[in-house]
Amino acid sequence: MADNKFTGFLAMIRRPSAKYSLLSLLVVGFFSGIFFWGGFNTGMEATNTLEFCIGCHEMRDNVYVEYKKTIHYTNRTGVRAVCSDCHVPKDWTHKMIRKIQASKEVWGKITGVIDTPEKFAAHRLQMAESEWARMKANDSRECRNCHSFDAMDVEKQKLRGAKMHKIGISEKKTCIDCHKGIAHTKPKGMKEDEDE
Amino acid sequence: MNKFSVSTAVAGALLALASQAAVAAPDWGKVPKRDINVFHAGVTPIEWATKKSDHSGSAGMRKGESCAGCHEEKGTLNFNFKRLADKELEPKGAPKTMMFPVSVQAAYDAANLYIRLTFKAPSGGADKGDKDNEVKATVLFADAKVPQADQYGCWQSCHADARTMPGADDKKTKYAKEGAYELMQWASKGNKVSDGSVTTERKMTGGTTGAKAEASKSGDTYTVTFTRKNPGEGKAVPFGIAVHADNSSGRFHHVSLGYKLGIGADGDVKAAKQ
Repeated sequence: MADNKFTGFLAMIRRPSAKYSLLSLLVVGFFSGIFFWGGFNTGMEATNTLEFCIGCHEMRDNVYVEYKKTIHYTNRTGVRAVCSDCHVPKDWTHKMIRKIQASKEVWGKITGVIDTPEKFAAHRLQMAESEWARMKANDSRECRNCHSFDAMDVEKQKLRGAKMHKIGISEKKTCIDCHKGIAHTKPKGMKEDEDE
Repeated sequence: MNKFSVSTAVAGALLALASQAAVAAPDWGKVPKRDINVFHAGVTPIEWATKKSDHSGSAGMRKGESCAGCHEEKGTLNFNFKRLADKELEPKGAPKTMMFPVSVQAAYDAANLYIRLTFKAPSGGADKGDKDNEVKATVLFADAKVPQADQYGCWQSCHADARTMPGADDKKTKYAKEGAYELMQWASKGNKVSDGSVTTERKMTGGTTGAKAEASKSGDTYTVTFTRKNPGEGKAVPFGIAVHADNSSGRFHHVSLGYKLGIGADGDVKAAKQ
């Protein structure tokens, strides 16, 4: 019985319409497409907001508190980099891949992997290493959405930064090679880089 | 020889010694001053400074950069003092004054090297470990066997397991893994002068500098003048200075980065020939 209904539905949507003009179908399809695509993107963008990220107490009580003390949260120029600026790619393809990967975190939330400060501390190194590896592999792409060696005038920097950036440029280093722990507490037990 | 001639001879000898001393003492008004900033370094021993995950500048150090080469800028030190005072790098508590200048002058003659330190020792320290001495001033000179002494200064003698470091043995002094430092120190109680060394341990006696010191306090300004044996004309000796202010002890000092003292040679501080 059910099979008959499903087969009937398939036959209906495959049958050319005798009732609606092609133009009507195109117009409806076009606007429906915009509606659904816009809705999808709006929904996805909502998951990129700071408010969404700190909707979970795991983020709000740990990394968010640490980030609020850093220059990426508040600074003299009033430019703020929120969670997604550093942790989610901007371009659509990489963003979708990252979002699909991040769906795993929903399972972590359900099972309470990091739902206490102690559990968070125990997993901090593993989580940090995973994110550092992602940033290293993509040449610190999210950092470079705002920062680049091309736009950087090292002579205007403090001496310590200027000297290190000159070394970084000459050795083709990437941002995360040196700038670990700039927005969150560095985990205990960090391994030293193998290339050093 | 009668009594008169003996007393005349003694008086003459004393006069000669006095005049020699008068000639030897530098005219400090003519000796150039170099301000060197000393700072509270918290828990940043050599193990911390050379570990990349703690100190990203260690990559520069491995390329031959000196501490001062990156951190001394426009007459001050460009450290992130907020970080140095934070409980991660200063679990006990940071002093109210994280940095202050020490005016350094140096002069030499054939026999001696003279170093004068002039500074205002700040109060507001977080450690009162030395009940006896309100202030101590120390100078370390690295020998040629201390690795990268030109770059790191005293830091090669500063270790995570030395006393007053968190969790360290209270009896373990500062030490050098290779080479040796000469140490001379003036302490305010009784104007005590120590002539010591830092090798596998720090010793406050038995040193080779023959150090003497004179100190005075005018208002809140200390002037400490060391006299030590001249290490040799033509040398540039790596050195560092430390001031233990406000009865502080151990690592709770204000220290300088590593500098070179030129004795008839180029250096960050050039000793004036007398």
